[in-house]
Amino acid sequence: MKITYQWLRQYVEFPWTPEELAERLTMLGLEVEAVERQSGDFEGVVVAQVMSREKHPNADKLSVCRVYDGTGERQIVCGAQNFQAGDKVPLIVPGASLPSKPGEAAFIIKVGKIRGVESQGMMCSAEELGLPPKEDGLWILEASATVGQAFAEHMGRRGSDVIYDLEITPNRPDLNSLLGIAREVAAVTGNPLRIPSVDFSSDQTSGFASMTGPVSELMKVRIEAPDLCPRYTARVICGVKVGPSPDWLRSTLEKVGLRSINNVVDVTNYVMLETGQPLHAFDSHLVAKGASGVPTIVVRAASDGEIFVTLDGQHRKLSHEMLLIADEEKGIALAGVMGGRNTEIHENTVDILLESACFKPTPIRRTSKTLGLRTDASYRFERGSDVEICDWASQRAVKLILETAGGNLASGVVDEYPMTEIAKAILLRHAKVGQLLGVEIPDARQVAILASLGFEVLPAETEALPGCAIFGVPSFRVDIKREADLIEEIARLFGVDKIPSTPPRGCVGAHAFDSVYDELMGVRGLLSAAGLSEAQGQTLIGDEAAGWAVGAEGMTGLSNPLSAEMNVLRPSLLPGLLDSLRHNASRKNGDVGLFEIGRVFPFINGKVEEHRRVALALTGERAPSFWSGTDREARCNAYDLKGILEDFFEAFGLKSMVYTRRVESDPLFHESAVIALGGKVVLGEMGLVHPMLAKIHGLRDPVLMAELNLDLLLARRHAAKHFKPLPQFPSVRRDVAMGVAEAISHDAVLQAVRQARATHLDSVELFDVFRGKGLAEGAKSVAYAFTYRHPDRTLTDAEVNLAHEKLVAHLVRQLQATVR
Amino acid sequence: MSLLDQIVPVKDSAMAELAQAGDLGMLDQAKGRYLGPEGRFTALMKQLGTLPKEDRPLAGKAINAAKIEIESALAARRSELELQALIPKEPTDFTLPGRRRFPGRLHPLTQVTHDIVRCFRKLGFAVADGPEIEDEYHCFDALNTPADHPARDSQDTFFLEQRAGGGSLLRTHTSSVQIRVMSSQPPPVRIVVPGRVYRRDNADATHNPTFHQIEGLYVDKAVTVADLKGTVEFVFKELLGDEVKLRFRPHYFSYTEPSFEIDFSSSLTRKMGKEWLEIAGCGMVHPKVFEAVGYDPEQWSGWAFGFGIERVAMIRYGIPDIRLFYENDVRFLRQF
Repeated sequence: MKITYQWLRQYVEFPWTPEELAERLTMLGLEVEAVERQSGDFEGVVVAQVMSREKHPNADKLSVCRVYDGTGERQIVCGAQNFQAGDKVPLIVPGASLPSKPGEAAFIIKVGKIRGVESQGMMCSAEELGLPPKEDGLWILEASATVGQAFAEHMGRRGSDVIYDLEITPNRPDLNSLLGIAREVAAVTGNPLRIPSVDFSSDQTSGFASMTGPVSELMKVRIEAPDLCPRYTARVICGVKVGPSPDWLRSTLEKVGLRSINNVVDVTNYVMLETGQPLHAFDSHLVAKGASGVPTIVVRAASDGEIFVTLDGQHRKLSHEMLLIADEEKGIALAGVMGGRNTEIHENTVDILLESACFKPTPIRRTSKTLGLRTDASYRFERGSDVEICDWASQRAVKLILETAGGNLASGVVDEYPMTEIAKAILLRHAKVGQLLGVEIPDARQVAILASLGFEVLPAETEALPGCAIFGVPSFRVDIKREADLIEEIARLFGVDKIPSTPPRGCVGAHAFDSVYDELMGVRGLLSAAGLSEAQGQTLIGDEAAGWAVGAEGMTGLSNPLSAEMNVLRPSLLPGLLDSLRHNASRKNGDVGLFEIGRVFPFINGKVEEHRRVALALTGERAPSFWSGTDREARCNAYDLKGILEDFFEAFGLKSMVYTRRVESDPLFHESAVIALGGKVVLGEMGLVHPMLAKIHGLRDPVLMAELNLDLLLARRHAAKHFKPLPQFPSVRRDVAMGVAEAISHDAVLQAVRQARATHLDSVELFDVFRGKGLAEGAKSVAYAFTYRHPDRTLTDAEVNLAHEKLVAHLVRQLQATVR
Repeated sequence: MSLLDQIVPVKDSAMAELAQAGDLGMLDQAKGRYLGPEGRFTALMKQLGTLPKEDRPLAGKAINAAKIEIESALAARRSELELQALIPKEPTDFTLPGRRRFPGRLHPLTQVTHDIVRCFRKLGFAVADGPEIEDEYHCFDALNTPADHPARDSQDTFFLEQRAGGGSLLRTHTSSVQIRVMSSQPPPVRIVVPGRVYRRDNADATHNPTFHQIEGLYVDKAVTVADLKGTVEFVFKELLGDEVKLRFRPHYFSYTEPSFEIDFSSSLTRKMGKEWLEIAGCGMVHPKVFEAVGYDPEQWSGWAFGFGIERVAMIRYGIPDIRLFYENDVRFLRQF
């Protein structure tokens, strides 16, 4: 909603500069989104009065005058001769500039000395102001001119102004009008609201004497959908002359961004901005006559498939959900949205039918949305309009049309208002105000604040209720529904800045997620310590990317996606991380370690699931670049990722993780393993991304990724820690290198070791795997260190040898190994 | 030359060679030349047996003394050389770059979220969460959002496909968690809710279909606007520094009454050329919301406030484009 400083002043007086007004409106809840200053004609020129005229002490042809500019007296040196004390003249003040002729620099008026006498401005001739020359010398204005008035205003020209673009919250449709905003300003300042006159009889130009008869004989209105249109008023003006609008009307509309059409249409727009009530004017000769022989307005639902041409020339296909203004033959306007081409006001229109009606928000919103047609009218009806203002707005428009377009008003009004809205009344308990706001506001002050906004105390009902008051809600306040709404009004006008701040009070909150939050932060800490940075991916991804992780049946789609790149909810964090790696590679960041904690939404067993996962991704150089060392170029491989996982599981309190190689192929991974707790509870997977897929994503080095079900991880962890005594006696280590078949996994070796139940065996550690020279094809050498220890004494060599030999013999037998 | 006369020269020569040995290898060679099986001093000891019996004690004593002298010189020289071997060959250039490890960083959104959570926790708030897939009841109806409010439109809100449950949507704000928490526990309530939310906006410098909010809710007896102001001021001073100024502007949200928007002013806003910058929305919980969750609005009152985490992070770090948060460029992530 746009308003201007000067326009608002017509409805209420306020003692604020344009900047202060912006601040005040903002703090009232009308946020000022933009302020635009518009310079006017005759900037810096005011109507002034010559108080005295003396001869200049040093020049014969000059005079020294005292001139009153409406705020104070100035000394002006003047060369003109055609004036005397008491004359009213245009005065330009220092800092302002005279209009320049084309090609000349503007002449800026300064305070200066003329022949030794200071002159604080300049009295002007018509020519100096860029107007057609009049008499010789100063322009002597008529005696009735108002001293101090801006000269532009005096001339009826555009003065300087400030335009505000206000954000009106959707609950306050009444503020989509100058009068509504002025009402707020009046409430704050205590100044009266100046409601414009709608008194026709005092109007000299309308010529009521020759009017054509009561309006009820000229037209009829029939509402067929009273639930959607509670009120419809109509007036008829005959003999108007459609033409351009006067300057004041055109410039006011243009300042707030509306195009001037013609005097009649401009008035309807002006009154809409003034009152918030949209109006529409029809050419009454184009409205078909009904059975009664006069034009008849029918408010009805549109028929499905009915075609209607709106003012903008578009052919609109209607449905039964839309409300149509029609005559007995055809539609003539889309109710509350836009008029029809078939009945619009044109230059030859002589008789007009003026509609001022109230439509319910729902049909208007539906029409506007379905047709993609938003207008100033639909915007206002969608938010809720004031049913009580219809007739007043119509009278106001009539007055302005008669003033600007002439014509005769048919007497009376057609006002179809089948079910009068019942005024709301709300109880306010004065004590409740302090209880909610935390500040004591005296009862009388509460009443005064509400009264200033148009809420009246209903005395009869109030009397019986001590400490309370019952307020009638004005019809324009459709947002006020209960006590809390009244308290908000009091808070707003009292000033939120005057409510004290009290320090936070004691109370301990509780929620099951609170500890989970800490656990998640713990996971973040461990993974970032492992060298991975935290990523945040998009929840919405494309089904193609999601397809790397799950089949189409496992995805949850959107019914209204923004694009094909964001049409499903991620079923896994991995496609997103892969995309982040791609982004980094395209920016030449080839060495990347990332993790992400987030929710995934796979579609499983006929329903969408929502759970937390953590995913890891690793590619590029193993270590940050360094200037020395032999394996500087080493790239990450699966064991780097596994190492991070192992460190993480250990620190997080998860033991006996089993990694089982997947046999079946996978679109994402070339090689992968299922990670399961104790071999049974599947926690997730890890693997090497298929090199072809990596290449598509611009990734040259091996890409390793893993994903774990975080909810399960949290449920299964043993966070509790217990101290284990440090060993008191030395251990003995025995190394064995064995040749085994390629198929024998590390897990198989460990299993064989466990089976052997070697006495005093404390730990086993793999320290070398070797293939090639000296080994048969399909064989590898694995070297293990076995550590033996007794908790209570030092083991003898003989004891260790005995145990170790038995163990080795078992391994040789079990694994068909050869000791090397 | 008698054996006795040979002892001192051989010993002196041995001592000189040991002293000259420049490293442990040379020392071992020198040792071999004198004390090894073929060594010169070993040869002298072997000669001892050939002496007449009466000469042996004297010679033997002299040889022994010499041997002890050589061996202790050997040991001394060895430890000297061993120490030398431990000392690095080249001096360290302390200006060379060190070997970095680059621990990972937490995402800036996580860091900002955690800072906010920490402020609330100081006041006794518990962290709460709820599902991101919501229904209209928790996201809108229970929050007093009118049935035809534009936020409920498929223009603005993501809805799931039919098979995923009709009317399921991606929550548009964390306020749905207010309803879930209040419906499941009696008052008083004191929670802070960080989380992902979704709006159907095309991505640009200030929009992403996915973003994060955090929201505080406090319900107790006799909670007032003054409490709301006090807590909001505490949290923002903790978060943005003591010099921050706040102002509350009347506003409209369907689930609070009265409602306010909060602007702040600090050196950060002035750097951006603005005196006031909008940062959060808040208000007193609407009685209808209390009625929806079965709290008696006559008994209980409360406030809620919430704001966008990206917005705070962008202001705090001077990040110009919201999309940077979701690209996960490591050069970006490493800055925080």
